[in-house]
Order: sequence, then C-alpha cells, then structure tokens
Amino acid sequence: MLRRINQKISVFLAILAGFYLVLSYNLPKYPNAIIDADVVPKGLGFLLLFFAVLLYLDKKEETEAEKVKRTISKENVLLLLAVLVFILIYIFLLEIIGFLIMTALFIFGCSLFLGYRKHVTNAIVSVAFSLVIYGLFNYLLKINLPAGIIPL
Amino acid sequence: MDAFQGLMSGFQVAFSIEGILFVFIGVFVGTFIGMMPGLGPISAIAIMIPITYSMDPTVALVMMAGVYYGAIFGGSSSSILLNAPGVAGTVATAFDGYPMAQQGKAGKALAIAAIASFTGGTVSVILLMLFTPILSAVAVSFGPAEYFALMFMGLTAISSLSDGSTIKAFISATLGFIVVTIGIDSQTGTSRFTFGNPNLLEGIDFLVIALGLFALAEVSTLVLNRKDNSMSDNKEIGSLRLSKQDVKEMSGPMTRQSFLGFLIGVLPGAGATIASFIAYITEKKLAKNPEEFGKGSIKGLAAPETANNAATGGAFVPLLSLGIPGSGTTAVLLGAFLVLGVQPGPLLIQDRPEVFWGIIASMYIGNIFLLILNLPLIPYIARVLRIPRPLLISLVIIFSLIGVYAISFNTFDLYMLVAFGIIGFLMRMFSFPAAPFILAFILGGMMEQAFRQTLTISNGSLAIFLDKPIALTLIIVSLLTILVPMFTGRKKLSAKNDTGKPL
Repeated sequence: MLRRINQKISVFLAILAGFYLVLSYNLPKYPNAIIDADVVPKGLGFLLLFFAVLLYLDKKEETEAEKVKRTISKENVLLLLAVLVFILIYIFLLEIIGFLIMTALFIFGCSLFLGYRKHVTNAIVSVAFSLVIYGLFNYLLKINLPAGIIPL
Repeated sequence: MDAFQGLMSGFQVAFSIEGILFVFIGVFVGTFIGMMPGLGPISAIAIMIPITYSMDPTVALVMMAGVYYGAIFGGSSSSILLNAPGVAGTVATAFDGYPMAQQGKAGKALAIAAIASFTGGTVSVILLMLFTPILSAVAVSFGPAEYFALMFMGLTAISSLSDGSTIKAFISATLGFIVVTIGIDSQTGTSRFTFGNPNLLEGIDFLVIALGLFALAEVSTLVLNRKDNSMSDNKEIGSLRLSKQDVKEMSGPMTRQSFLGFLIGVLPGAGATIASFIAYITEKKLAKNPEEFGKGSIKGLAAPETANNAATGGAFVPLLSLGIPGSGTTAVLLGAFLVLGVQPGPLLIQDRPEVFWGIIASMYIGNIFLLILNLPLIPYIARVLRIPRPLLISLVIIFSLIGVYAISFNTFDLYMLVAFGIIGFLMRMFSFPAAPFILAFILGGMMEQAFRQTLTISNGSLAIFLDKPIALTLIIVSLLTILVPMFTGRKKLSAKNDTGKPL
C-alpha cells in the first residue's frame, strides 16, 4: 500500500494536517469578530490534507537523482547526528560558559571532528574568529553576547 | 520629488563614504558567500542581517542589496570554475562556462560572465528606476482585497514554477503558512498553537526559518560532500582578454536578455533561475550554430549571465513598489527591511525617499564594483574556494547561531533554529523546495490579515472579490497557474540539471 516514498510522506502530512485541524477547531472563540482567528488555520489544515491526498495519488516515479539524494550512508547519518549533538551542547552551555570559550571550542572541535588536520591553523582561526566576532558585536554593534565565566 | 531629483538624492546617499564602503562590503561578502558551493543568496542575506541591527537603515539596506546581487554573481564563478553552482540562478552558466574553463579559457569565461552581469545588472537598474515609481503610483489605490490577490498570485506562481514536483511545492508553501499562524493573532489577540509556551507568543522569527531552512540545511549538505576535493584544484585560469569577435558575439544575447531577464524577474515566482534558463534556451534557438551550445559557446555563457543579473534587478520592482516579494530571496530581503523598521510598498517612495533612491543609486555603483572586483581580482578570488570545508562548515554553523541569538537573546530560539535546520534537511532529502516555504512564511501573516480585513469589510461574504476587478483577475490568473500544470504535466526547465547536485 505504501510502496512509494511519496505515499509514506503523504500519510505523515495527513496526520500532521489532522493534528493541526484538531487544534484549530479547539481555538477559543472571540464573539465580536466577523472573521475569527480560527478561519485561516482551518482552511490551511484542509488545504494540507488535500495536497497530501494529491501526493498520495501522484503516479510520478522518483527520478534517479531524487533517489540518490535521499540515500545517505550510515556513516554519514552518524556524522550528522554527531554535529547535531555538538550544536546542542553549544547552545546548552552558551549562556553558562560564555560566547568566547564555547565558540572557540566549537569551531576547533567541529573542524577537527570533520577531518581538518592542521591543528595550528585551526586553533588560530577558532580563537581569532571568536575574538573578532565578540568584539564586533559587543563594542561596534552594541549587541552583548554572553560573557559567561570570563569577566569582560 | 520627481525621479531625477530623487535619484540625485539617492546618489548623495550612495556616494557618501559610508555608502560606498557598505556597498563594497555588501558586494564583496555576497560574492564571497555566493561562491561557496551550496551557499546561496538566501543564506548570504540571512547571515548578514544581524550585522545590520544597529546600522542606519538606508546604509544597511544598500549593503543588503549588494549582498544579493553579489551572491548571484559569486555563484557564477563557482559554476564556471568548478561546475558547482552556488546558486540555482547560475546553473545555466555552468552549461557553457565550465566547458570553457576545461579548455583552459577560465579567465575568458569569467571575463565574459563579469561583463554580461554588468550589462544585465545596469540595464535592469535603469528599468527598475523607471518602472517602480509607476507601479507604486498604481498600487497606492490598492485595498486589502487587491493585496491579498497579489500575494496569492506570488505564492501560487513560486510554487508552480519551482523545480521538481508542483504538489510538493504547494505542500511546502502550505507548511510555511501554517508555521506563521503560531503565536498571538494580531486581530483578536487569541494565542494560537503556542501550547502554553510563552516563547512562542510572538511567533517564530523569520530569521530562525531563513537560517534554519537554508543556511543550516546547506551545511548538512556540505557535511555530506565534505570529501569533494574539487575545491582544492589548482587550475590555470588563463588570459582574461576578449577579442573583438568575442565582444561582437556577446552583444546580441546581452541586449536581448537584459530586457527579457528584467521582465521575468518582475514576474512573481520567476526570478534569476528561470530567467537564466529561458535566456539559454532562446539564445540557443536564435543562434546560427546551436550545436556549439554546451561546448563552450560564448553566447551560451553570456545569455544566462546577463539574464540572471537582470532578473535580480527586476525582482526589486514588486518588492519596492508593492512590498510583496516574488521569490524566496526577496522574501528574506523583505525580512531584512522589516527588521530595520522600513516597510517597503507604494508609500516607500514618499515616506522614505532616501531609502528608495539610495538603494537604486547604490546598484549602479554596486555593479561597477562587481566589475572591478571581478575582472582583475578573479585569480585571487578563485583561491577563496580553497577554504577547507570542515572549517567552513563550523563557521557557517556559528554564524547562524549568532544571527538568531543576537535578535532574541534566548536559547529557546536557538533550539528552534536547529529544529528548522533538521526540517530543511529533510525537505532537501525528499525533494521539497524550500523557497515556497519561506515565501509563504513571510507573506502568510500579511495575507491572513488582508484576507480577514477584506471579509470584515464585506461582512463575511466572499463575493467581495467578484466586485474588485483587479483582485478577481489576479486570483483567476493564479488559479490557472495552479490548475494548468497539474493537468498537463509540466516539462521540467531543469532537464539538463540531472547531476543530482543540491542547488
């Protein structure tokens, strides 16, 4: 029944549309509005459902290029997940440790992890980049990035 | 203020030291980012937005415009040198540019691209200057019904013209619209789809979407292709010199495609990509020896390069005169305007003439900069492509994170950014175009407002659209653009782009 990848996607989209529609129908009513806040969301929910059905019925076969695009080796999936974890750690610690240290660590660590082997260049770039951006934002643009544990 | 006076005051802005400096920075950064395979103008603009926060809006927007056409130009260099277009708008450039480079004539190809871009860009600025005030004057009388119809047309056009499956493009647009309904409703104050999370009350910032869906998703593609060594090739570029014969051959396509490219750029949903493909196809049909196309033809290179730059100028017409972006890139540019507190639209010329004319005047200068930057500096710029990918990836990630953090000072938005990065990656993986998503996201809020205002005027009756001839015509045209391709089976413009490379 779900032979084509597009059919699997369309089922997912239909569920999403259903969920969105349920939420739309539960929006609080505002008595004086002629067109209330729920009109457009309801329309959008049904529209998404309609397109999901069209996608399900779409007979067009996947092209070779499209197939290649969505096949990712296990190694690469793990790699992407690792980068994702790096980013999440960065976000989590950004306000605690501070911009300078976290950014320098992230650039150095992430580049190293992705296979950059010139450690000296890497260290210089990551430290210099963090300092330049921090200076640019805090002193030139007056946007304060988190200082964290370094008292600046 | 008449147009001439306006332009003069614009030149005052553009020729100030600040103006020149920031046009230069914009064009340079745009070229630089545009050259990176995988990074396009949307990422370039989105990455630059945080830097403009505390700047004077006019100067900032002059710079952003520079980033935009600089990125389109930069894309052509990587198309020619590496056969890896940084931008979809320069895919057609690679058809003849890359064969020329392989024949050892990379320098000549880059010179042709630079001159063609300059011509296309300059002609389109002149046309932009003439057309925009006229369209603005017409649009002043538009009410919410007309605006709704215009935006509806923009959305349907971008969806039916985008690469790949039309249905997927419409799904992408619908999802973008759905995401923008999150937050407090501006008319009734109802909080919608926030799940009680106070961070969502103001809705999701467009920079979160732009950087997530484009920059971060592009990064993940870079991670997958990081072992591609084409960037470290040390190729000889060859002479930049053009013969009289070459110039003669270029002149025809350049003249025609400057105008055609501009017109296509004005149309909603079209833009640089379609303009460059149409330019390539028409010139191939007009050419005396079409068999040369694809093997390093001068015409085949000059035509798309002229057209994509002319189209970027054209794309500014609806943005500046109506305040309605016609493409993903101009949608992000509109976001940049709004961040700076400038509302583009029919009143822009009257209310903020210095912004309007400053941008136009700066484009003349920007195009000259592009020519200067690109002709003598080509061999040096080509070295930019040798930045090691791991480092590039880390830097783009950090730029995206800083960009979002600098507007919200809130890590919640950073998690949202990552979430949209994942969504963007999945969309790429399953061939859903992201441009309709961002356009719908930018237009969605305005569309909903216009729609509800219209129906409030008519007391809830949809018949009001029948009484407004302009709105009705636009809606009928939009419906035709949806229905016709769905039933006829659309021919793909990008038939030649079957390399499977992400654009």
